[in-house]
Amino acid sequence: MNRTLIALASILCAAAFAVAPSPTDDEVAARKTVLELAGAFSNDGFKLRDGHWSGPIKPGESKLVQVNLYAGNEYYFAVAGTGTAKKMTLSAYDETGAAIEIEDPFQEGATAAIGFSPVASGPYYVKVEQIEGEPTAYCLVCSYK
Amino acid sequence: MLRLNRHLAASLGALYLSGFAVAEPAPLTPDQIKAATLTDEFSVPTPGEFMAALNKTGKMDWASKARPPIPTNFSSRAQQALNLGTLIADGYIAVESEDKQAVKNVGRDIVDLAKPLGVKEEIVNRGKSLTEFADDAQWDVLREELEATQNEVKVKFSENDDKDLITLVTVGGWARGTEVVAALIAQNYTPEGAKLIRQPGIIDFLSARLDELPPKLRDDPAVKRARVKLIELKATVSFPRETTPDADAVKKVATLAGELVKDLARKDLK
Repeated sequence: MNRTLIALASILCAAAFAVAPSPTDDEVAARKTVLELAGAFSNDGFKLRDGHWSGPIKPGESKLVQVNLYAGNEYYFAVAGTGTAKKMTLSAYDETGAAIEIEDPFQEGATAAIGFSPVASGPYYVKVEQIEGEPTAYCLVCSYK
Repeated sequence: MLRLNRHLAASLGALYLSGFAVAEPAPLTPDQIKAATLTDEFSVPTPGEFMAALNKTGKMDWASKARPPIPTNFSSRAQQALNLGTLIADGYIAVESEDKQAVKNVGRDIVDLAKPLGVKEEIVNRGKSLTEFADDAQWDVLREELEATQNEVKVKFSENDDKDLITLVTVGGWARGTEVVAALIAQNYTPEGAKLIRQPGIIDFLSARLDELPPKLRDDPAVKRARVKLIELKATVSFPRETTPDADAVKKVATLAGELVKDLARKDLK
């Protein structure tokens, strides 16, 4: 229990100090929500990568970020939008642009999460999409074990 | 928070069990890939993540990769930042070795090196935490603390208008992490381990960031050395996905990264 508490405290502390140009209130709210979602994975031994990716997003818009992953590790990506977002989704791609098959993606309203184990070390891409809702902010985090 | 997490875990678990069909997304176009965002804090993994992957391939003798103390009184801020990155990677090595005294020693050196970079207060507090967690042998917490330390230094650089130093800390950490991981893979060669040294995206990103530095910083002898060495390293860590490097190729990565780490710590670098 103590370890879980310390881990959660570290996650929240990391969030407070994450490197980013002054986040908007919406981005802060999205980050709070996604950290709660990612906290569920920490119960399963996943460690949160100490950084996040956030910004504004509109319905029908997608955002793409490169992440460098190591074969052998398992990864989970989680995203959250703020209250005005109705549906957010996540998808992942290898360096050739081919979509990675995600076995059991999680999607619930303005939150989504996907997990996979890369077959090769190298660059991958994660796409955040807002399917429904009003313009909002998103925050994406990455956990690994 | 804990109750909420349990509820989330439970609901996630239920969804994993039930599963649901999702149409496969269309592939990305080359233009989309080219336009993808890259950030220091999200796109580049920490040395700890690299080490976690290596630990899955077998038991590693991390303690054998400790190095003698390095100077902490460099006159160039660029060299200070690069070596701060290598020291943070040393912290991960000490944690993997579960060596309490080494963690404390590295923590002290990190504080000494960070002070002239304008991050004294934050780092002194982190240094105290490292010592306390080392005393209690809380290795998992120490890994998180090191990651938070690196991030906190970068945040402070960002706030102090020293954003360019962020890249240098990352380069130093990546070089030292790559040196040690590649050396351990070469010592305990397995094809799975060898494939870990493939890091084309990271080296492209770091090289590009170094090339974008302001001329004054780019011409610093330590930065110049890093730029040259990254070009050499690029050829060794950018092999095709299907290729498995042999032991000699892995050793070459360890040697090149090791040469860079040693050069960065030289006080007579010109």
